[in-house]
Amino acid sequence: MKLVMDVWRQAAPGEAGHYETHEVDDATPEMSLLELLDRLNFALVENDREPVAFESDCREGICGACGITVDGIPHGPQQNTPSCHQRLASFHDGQRIRLEPLRSAAYPVIRDLVVDRSALDRIIVAGGHVAVPGGSAPDADALLVSHERAEQALDMAACIGCGACVAACPNGAAHLFVGSKLAHLSLLPTGRQERGKRARAMLNEMEQDFGPCSLYGECAKVCPANIPLTAIAAVNKEGLRSFFRHKDD
Amino acid sequence: MTSSRVGRGRHAHGALVEGGTTDRDALGMGIVRSARLKPPPRIPSWVLKVVMAVTGVVFALFVLVHMIGNLKVFTGAEHFNEYAHWLRTVLQPFLPYEGLLWILRIALMVALVAHVWSAALIWRRGRASRGRHRRPGMWVKNFTARTMVVTGIVLLGFVVFHVLDLTTGTAGVAVDTFQPATPSTAHAYENLVSSLQRPWVALAYMVSMLALFLHLAHGLWTVVSDVGFTGVRLRTVAWWVAGVVALAVMLGNILIPIAVLMGVVA
Ligand code: HEM
Ligand code: FES
Repeated sequence: MKLVMDVWRQAAPGEAGHYETHEVDDATPEMSLLELLDRLNFALVENDREPVAFESDCREGICGACGITVDGIPHGPQQNTPSCHQRLASFHDGQRIRLEPLRSAAYPVIRDLVVDRSALDRIIVAGGHVAVPGGSAPDADALLVSHERAEQALDMAACIGCGACVAACPNGAAHLFVGSKLAHLSLLPTGRQERGKRARAMLNEMEQDFGPCSLYGECAKVCPANIPLTAIAAVNKEGLRSFFRHKDD
Repeated sequence: MTSSRVGRGRHAHGALVEGGTTDRDALGMGIVRSARLKPPPRIPSWVLKVVMAVTGVVFALFVLVHMIGNLKVFTGAEHFNEYAHWLRTVLQPFLPYEGLLWILRIALMVALVAHVWSAALIWRRGRASRGRHRRPGMWVKNFTARTMVVTGIVLLGFVVFHVLDLTTGTAGVAVDTFQPATPSTAHAYENLVSSLQRPWVALAYMVSMLALFLHLAHGLWTVVSDVGFTGVRLRTVAWWVAGVVALAVMLGNILIPIAVLMGVVA
C-alpha cells in the first residue's frame, strides 16, 4: 500500500519546524508505524538525505520510548496502543497522514519527532520512587497485602512513562501520569511510609511544568498502559490528604 | 531509584546538530534536564480546582433549591407571592427583614468571585502549558468539557440579567410594571410572569438553562475527581447524581417559560 506523509522536520530545539511531504509505496498493512518510518529513513539515507529522527527502544509496548502524534492524536489512531504497536491497517491505501512530535510546552522538540521528556523524569526524581530502606526480604506472610489491593497497585504501576497523556491533553496536564504513580506507591506498605511527603514533592514539581486537569478524558484514551481516568482523582486525593494531615507518611 | 524511565536508554535514529548538547545528553544518556517551564505558582492548580469544586457545589445546591422553589409558580399567584414574602421574613426577629436572603447573596457573591477567578487562572495555565500547538480533533464525548468557559460566560451574563430583571427591577431590563417587594408584601408572581411574557426573555431564559445543564453535567462530574473520590462505586453513583441533578434543574426551570408562553401560567 501507498502512504503519503507530512512529517515534522525540525533541526534543533528552539528552531522553527516545518512539514515535509514524503511517500512510501511499498508499505504493508501489518507494518507498524515505526516500521513505516524505518522504511522512509531507508529511502532517505539511500538518497543521501537526512533521516527522520524518532525514538523507540523495545518496540513491544513496554519501554515508553516511542510516541509520535498521528493526525493530531498521540501514538496514533488506535486507542490505548503505543506507536510501536500501531499497525498501518488503520489507514487506507493512498491515505495522507500527518506525523509530528508529542506536543506540549513541557516537551521541547530535540529534533524532528523526538522530544525531551525530562519534565516527567523530574517528577519521578521528586517522589516517584521508594526511598526508605526495605531491609532484607521478610517472610511472605509478614506483611499482608490483599489480592485486590495488589491488583489495584499493579494496574496503576502499569504506566510506562511515555508521556502521551500530556500530549493528548488540551491543558498539557500530567495528571494521569502523576496520579498513577501516586496511587501505585500509596497502595503498598513500603511506599506508604512516604505517602504525604511524596504527594507534596510530586505535586510541587508537577505544577512547574504541567497544566491543570479539566477532565477532558483524552489522556485515558491514548494511554498504552490502560491507566483508568480514576488515576486523576488520586492527584487531588493525595494532595488534599497531605495538605490536611501534614505528615511524612 | 525505582523509576521506569531514568537510566533507560533511548535511541534516536539520526544525529543531533551541534549546539543542543544538554538535550543530546538527555536523549542519549537518560540525563534529566533541570530547566522548568515556570516557577511554582503561588496557588497550585490542584488547589484552584478544589476551590472550583466547592464553589461549584454551592451553586449547584443553590440552583437545585431555587428550581424547586420556582415550581411553586404552578400553585398560583397567591401561594408563590407568599413564598417570596416568607423568604424575606423567615427567622424574624432573629434576622432582620431579608436577613436570610442577604446571607445567601453574600455567600453566593463570594463563591462567584472565587469560581470565576479560579476558572480564569485555570484556563490561562492550561493554554500556557499546552503551548503553541493546540490539540485538534477531540471526541464528541467531551463537548461539555470543551465548552465550560463558553457556558460559564453565558451563565455569568444570565446571572447579571436575572438580578436586574427580577430582583432590582432595573429599568430597561425589567418590565415597566415591576413592583419591588416591601416588608408587607411581595409581587414576585406578577413580575416573573410579565417578564417571561416577553418572548425574547423566555428564549434567553431557556438558552441559559441549556447552558446550565451542560455546565453542571460536566462540572458535577469533575467535582468527583477534584475532591479525590477514587472508589469505583462512589464514582458511578456520583456520575449519575451529576447527570440527574443537571437534568432536573434544567427541566424544572424550563417548564416555567414554556407554561407562560403557552398561557398556562398567566
Ligand atoms: C450558576 C452558576 C454556576 C454553576 C452552578 C457552576 C458550577 C460549576 C461546577 C460544579 C464546576 C466544576 C468544578 C470543578 O472543577 O470541580 C464548574 C466548573 C467551571 N466553571 Fe462554573 N458554575 C457556575 C458559573 C460559572 C461562571 C459564571 C463561570 C465563568 C464565567 C464558570 C466557569 C467555569 C469553568 C471554566 C469551569 C471548568 C474549570 C475547569 O477547567 O476544570 N462557571 N462550574
Ligand atoms: S518502543 Fe518501547 S513502548 Fe514503543
